[in-house]
Amino acid sequence: MTPGFGLHLSADELDAWLDATLAPDRARHLDLCTECRERAEAERELVQQLVSLQLLSPAAEFADRVMQHVSLPAPYAVRSIQPARRRLFATRRSVAVAAALAVLLVGSMAGSVVWTLGHQATLASIGGWVLAQIGQAGWIAVQGVASNLIEQPWYEAARSLFDSPGRVAGAALLSALAYLAGVFALRRLLALPTQQVAHASA
Amino acid sequence: MTDTPQWARLTDQEVVFLARSGRETAYRELIRRYERPVFALLFRMVRDRELAEDLSQETFIKALNAIESYRPEFKFSSWIFKIANNAAIDHLRRRELDTLSLDGSPHAETPEAMQATALQIGARQESPLDTVEAKELGSEIEAAIGRLRPEYRSCILLRHVEGRAYEEIAEILDLPLGTVKTYIHRARNELRHALAHLKE
Repeated sequence: MTPGFGLHLSADELDAWLDATLAPDRARHLDLCTECRERAEAERELVQQLVSLQLLSPAAEFADRVMQHVSLPAPYAVRSIQPARRRLFATRRSVAVAAALAVLLVGSMAGSVVWTLGHQATLASIGGWVLAQIGQAGWIAVQGVASNLIEQPWYEAARSLFDSPGRVAGAALLSALAYLAGVFALRRLLALPTQQVAHASA
Repeated sequence: MTDTPQWARLTDQEVVFLARSGRETAYRELIRRYERPVFALLFRMVRDRELAEDLSQETFIKALNAIESYRPEFKFSSWIFKIANNAAIDHLRRRELDTLSLDGSPHAETPEAMQATALQIGARQESPLDTVEAKELGSEIEAAIGRLRPEYRSCILLRHVEGRAYEEIAEILDLPLGTVKTYIHRARNELRHALAHLKE
């Protein structure tokens, strides 16, 4: 320890000084202590020499020479099918199972087509009945929703909005603005990050 | 994603992702980003341009063929520097065995051959730096770096030439952080002493 100056700078503190991150009270020590200042200046000079060393590059076409020995992976879609294909054709039994499944699939599709062609009138009557049921259920649902709306305490106020064309236009404008704001907010939320992450860069 | 990504805007991890999907341009981008620092590190480690080219090539081939095993939570730079440094250290150890063994080279099959290779200790002492030294590394500081122990050399090059953080160097070299700091401080001391005569 040097009286009045505080402790001499440690090696870690000298590193911090070189990186300009040394605490100000410790940096002041350098103004007072010739020994530490000389040491720090010598370190800085050496580091500057190291930083300014000649840039070295490999010979031209280095990348081509490397790429000659690199095997590129197949595109993902192909790669994801490959293991399944290998498993499928691994044994005779797996090939037989795959063939049986294929025959079953093709047979059921063909049977479905043949039955449809032979029973067009039946299909039409079933289709008509299903459509009528769906229409009736839809109409009941609309009536239910409408009656619920009319019973709401705010229904009269909302209805009055449509008393004049000006109010209708205003309501339409407000709705459009709310819709646009929603779309804009959604795009911001779903946008992919474009900035580089500092710790992940080279 | 467009067909021609703006490479400069992509992080290493994003480029690796594209490489894993089989895009050759992504592989070439990784080489473009790291061929110089990897080659410079290896050249200064082994001090032989041709050998450094071979080791750089070996490093990239090993890394790119194993790109599926790269874990994106680590820096790509740490990964490739680790492979490069291991290649250099392996080579230096092999060379050390070949030239410094008191019993001669382990590859020597006859007593005469063993004696001949053992005599290389004397040759090495007469010429601390390898006699075949590339002109590019001819400056005093390059020579002083070449005389450092390989562990110190890796540390000082990664820290002050490649500008890597202490934590990353510890990860690259598989050393505790404190050891890395000690090696760098010692290496700087040795370099300062080696270059002291230039100031006089």
